[in-house]
Amino acid sequence: MSRAPAIDPAAAKQAIIEYCLRKGALVAGIADLDAVDRIAPAGHRPKDLMPRVKSVIAVGVGGSTAGAWRVPAKALSYFGSTESRAYKIVYGLAFYIEQKFGVPAIYCPPDMDPELGARYPLQSLKLHAELAGLGARSLAGDILLHPDYGYMYYASCFTELALPPDKPLAENPCPAPSCVSMFRREGRTPCMKFCPAQCLSGEIDADGKQASMHYDMAACAELTQQFETVPQLLRDAIATDNPEEREALLLGERNKVLWYRMTVGNGGLFAQCFECMRVCPVATSAPLADPLKRGAAHRATSSRKVQNGGANAA
Amino acid sequence: MAAPTRRERLGVTHEMIEAFGPVIFDLSTNVQDRRGDPVRLLQFDEIERQRPGTGLSDSEIAVRLGLATDQVTFIRVLLEQRRFKPERYYRLFQLGGGRRFRAGRGMERDPYNEPQFSADALAIRDALRFRPDHVRRELESGRWSADTVASYLQRWARETPDAIAIAAPGHSPVSYCAALDRAERLAAALAGLGVRRGDVVTVQLPSTPEFAVIYYAVARLGGVFSTLHTPYGAAEAEPLLRHSRARAVFCGAATDKSDPPALFATLTERLPNLQHVITVGPPRPGVLSFEVLIADADPAMLPAPPVASDAALMCYTSGTSDAPKAVPHSFQSLLANPRQSLPVFDLKPGDRILSVPPLTHAFGLFIANAALMSGATFMPLPAFTPPALAAALEQDQPTHAFVAPPHVAALLKAGLLDGRDLTSLRQVIVSGSYCAPELKRAFEEKLAGGRVIELWGMTETFAVLLGDPREPAKERYDWIGKPSSGSEVRIADLDGKPMPPEAEGELQVRGCSVFAGYFDNATANDGIFTADGWLRTGDLGVMSAAGHVRITGRSKDLINRGGVKLNPSDVEALIDQHEAVLQSAIVPMPDPILGERACCCVVLKPGKTLGLEALCGWLEGQGVAKFKWPERLVAIEAMPMTPTRKIIKGALVKMIEQ
Repeated sequence: MSRAPAIDPAAAKQAIIEYCLRKGALVAGIADLDAVDRIAPAGHRPKDLMPRVKSVIAVGVGGSTAGAWRVPAKALSYFGSTESRAYKIVYGLAFYIEQKFGVPAIYCPPDMDPELGARYPLQSLKLHAELAGLGARSLAGDILLHPDYGYMYYASCFTELALPPDKPLAENPCPAPSCVSMFRREGRTPCMKFCPAQCLSGEIDADGKQASMHYDMAACAELTQQFETVPQLLRDAIATDNPEEREALLLGERNKVLWYRMTVGNGGLFAQCFECMRVCPVATSAPLADPLKRGAAHRATSSRKVQNGGANAA
Repeated sequence: MAAPTRRERLGVTHEMIEAFGPVIFDLSTNVQDRRGDPVRLLQFDEIERQRPGTGLSDSEIAVRLGLATDQVTFIRVLLEQRRFKPERYYRLFQLGGGRRFRAGRGMERDPYNEPQFSADALAIRDALRFRPDHVRRELESGRWSADTVASYLQRWARETPDAIAIAAPGHSPVSYCAALDRAERLAAALAGLGVRRGDVVTVQLPSTPEFAVIYYAVARLGGVFSTLHTPYGAAEAEPLLRHSRARAVFCGAATDKSDPPALFATLTERLPNLQHVITVGPPRPGVLSFEVLIADADPAMLPAPPVASDAALMCYTSGTSDAPKAVPHSFQSLLANPRQSLPVFDLKPGDRILSVPPLTHAFGLFIANAALMSGATFMPLPAFTPPALAAALEQDQPTHAFVAPPHVAALLKAGLLDGRDLTSLRQVIVSGSYCAPELKRAFEEKLAGGRVIELWGMTETFAVLLGDPREPAKERYDWIGKPSSGSEVRIADLDGKPMPPEAEGELQVRGCSVFAGYFDNATANDGIFTADGWLRTGDLGVMSAAGHVRITGRSKDLINRGGVKLNPSDVEALIDQHEAVLQSAIVPMPDPILGERACCCVVLKPGKTLGLEALCGWLEGQGVAKFKWPERLVAIEAMPMTPTRKIIKGALVKMIEQ
C-alpha cells in the first residue's frame, strides 16, 4: 500500500483560497486554531465539533449590493439570505478538501446551540473570521468590517489538514475618519445615532481609535429577531377568552406571514435590521464594498488579461 | 398532587429568578462591553479580564454563581422572554428608502403605521353607524368616493401649485402648494404631539387663512375636526370640549377683551382629554404656537393619510337644546354633497368664492369644501361688517358669494351696494335662515347678470335643497329650490305619511350627506329618524307639484292651542314689519285649559311702545285670523340668539315662565 503523497501546507492553502474566491468569496483566510481555542468558551471551540481539527478556514462574501442599501428597511431585512452564499461555499469547500487532499473536513454549522436557546451559536463565525484577518470589530455591536470590502457575511470550514494561519488585520477600519469627526462633534457615530433600538454607544480615543464599545444585544435582538414570536402568539391564543382575538392572533396578516416564512423555509430570522450598516461609511463606501466598483475592477482586470493573453499568444 | 413544572424540576425558585436574573442577564452576551481591540491584537490577558463584560457562556456564569448550567440557561431565557415584545420589527417598516431613525420620532406611539384608534375615537366612529344598505347604495351610485379633504388638496397642489387656494381679505394669499406644505407640516407637528387619527381637534378662530390651514392639517392627520363659535367663553366651551373629548384646541391670540389661550389653558386642568392649547398668536408658557409648530415640524412624523370612511368632522348644531348635539360626518358624507352641488354652482378652477358665514359653522365648512373640490380660491371674510362685505364684493372680484339673509338685508338697508361694480359675480348663494323673496330679488337687481339662488341645509344634512340658477326668477325667489343631487326630500305628517303637494308638513330627508345620528346623545337620537330611514328635520315645509320646496316653520315651534296647531312663523314675519317692532318671536306659554297659548316677545325700536290690544288690532287689519293672535305680549331688550343669529326660543319660554 503506497503512502499518500505529502501535502505542501502552503500550496494547499493557496489552492483552498483560490477555490473559495472562484466560488464567489471576496476573501478567505486561516484562523490560528490555538487563538480560537484560547478565546472561545468551553463547548464552543472547534474541537467540540471536530476533535482532530487542525485548521479553521474562514470566508467572507459580499453583504449587500449597492442598490440594496437604498431599499426600505422591511425589504432589506430579506437580503440577509446573502449569508447562505457563504455557507454554500464552505459546504463545497469541505468536499473539495476531502476529494483533493484526502483529509476530513466539515462545513461549520452557523446555527444555534440546541441546548442553549436561540441566541447562542455552536461556534463563533465572527471569531474565526476576525482571527483569519477577514475583518475587525466595529463600534456597531462588534460587527466585523473589512477595510476593502466593508461589511460581509462569514462562514467557516474545519479540516484535519494543517494549514499555515493568517494574522488578524493590522488596522481596524472602524471608526472611519468621518465617524471620528462626527463623534467629536456630537458624541455619537452614525451607527449609534441611527440605531432604531438605540442599543449602541462607545468612546473614541484621542488617536481616533476605539476606546470602548457598548452593545445592548438584547435590545437589538428584541427589535430584529423574532424567535419568541411564534411561541408567544400561541401562548396568547391559548390564553385569550375572545374567539375573535384568537382568530386575529393565529390568522391575522401579521402572524400569517410567520407561517408563510416558516412554510417556505425563509424563517431563519423573522426580521433583520441593517440600519447601523446602512449609515456606516466603511460598510457602504469601502473601496470594494460596492459591487458596482468591484465589477468595474473585475472587468478592467479581465480586459487586461485578454489583452495580455493575446500578446503572449502572438 | 400536580406534577412539578420544569422550573421546579430544575430546582429554580421564583426567588432565585428575581435574585440571579439581572446578574445572569448582564453577564451573558445580552449586554456587551468591550474596551480597546483585544481580539484583533491577540491580547489574551485583556480578553480574559474583559470576559465578564463581553459576555460569558451559561456554563461560565454557572461557575461564577455556583449554579447549574441548566439553571442559568433557564433563568437567562426566561428573562429574554420577559423582555421580548412581539412585532417590534414593524418599527423597521418606517425606515429605509431615505428615512432613518431619529430619537423622539415616536416610533413607539405608532409602531405599526396603521390605525390605532383610541377608545374615544372608536366611540365617534361608532356614531357614524355603519349601515350596509346605505353604504352599498352610495358607493355603487358613485356619490361616495375615496376622496378626502387631503386628497383634494394634494391634487390641486400637484396640478395648479401656484394657484391661490386661500385669499382672505386683509390677509396674504396662500397658494395651493403653500397650503399643502403648511398643512402637512402642521399635521406632522400634531402627530409629534401625540394627536392621533380619530382624535378630536377643536378650533375657535375667525375665518382666517390659518383656520383653513388647520382644517386641512387636521384632515390630513385623520383627526376629527370640531369647532367652537368665536363668542363662546369657558361656560359654553367646557361642556362641548368635554363632550367631544377634544385632544387639542386652536384659538386666537389674547386681546383687550378676552384671553382665549389662558381660558383654554385653564380648561386643560379640568378636562383630562384636552392636552394641547395652540394659539395663532405669540407663544406663551403652557400654550403652543401655531407658527412655531409649523416651523419646527418634522415632516417624517407625517402619518399615513386617512381614508374616506374615517370620521372627519363633528360640529355642534346651532340648535337650542341644552344637551350638546354633536353631528359626526365621515369624509364620505362630508364631501358627497358639495361634490354633487358643484355643477349647480358652476364652480371651476380659477373661480373666486367669497364666504361670509363663519367657518365655525357647518355652512362655512361646506363652502370651504366646495372651493377646495373645485380648485377655486376660497375667500373667507374674517369678520362681517356691512362695509367690509360690500368692499369685498367689489374689490376682491368674487365670482361667487355665499351669504346669509341678514348679511344681504344689512347691505341693502344701508345702500352699500348702490353704484358698486358687481360684474364679477356669477352667483350669490343665500342660506342660513329664512330669506324673503323680495330680498333675493333686490340683491339680484344689483348684479350685472348674476343669479341669486337659495340653499337650505342643516349640519346634519348639508345642502339638501338647492335653487337652480337656470330657472326663472319667480321659482328661485318664491321657493328655496329642489332636492339636491343625491338627496331625497318628502313632506310628511307626524305619522310619517307623505303629504300632497302644497300641504304643510314636516320636511324629511335622506341621502348621501345625511348624518347617522348624534354622538353620545341618546335623547336627541330618540325618534330623529323614521322607521324607514328618513331624517326628521323638525322643519315644516311645503312642496309644489313641480318639486320646489319652501320652509314654513319649525315643528317644535308649533303652539298647540286646545288641539289646534298654530305655526307662528308667518305671524312673526308680519309682526316684524310693524313700525314699532325690531324683532319678534312667538312662543308657547302653558295654559290650564287650552294646554298652550301664544305669547309674543318683541324687541321694540328705540322710543316706540306697543300694547297687546294695539298689536291684535293691527293684525286684524292685516287680515290675520283671530286664533293666530298672540294672547300675551312681552317686550324685551334683546332676543337670546345663537352664534348663527337664530332666536333661542327655549330661552324665551323660560324667560316668560319666570
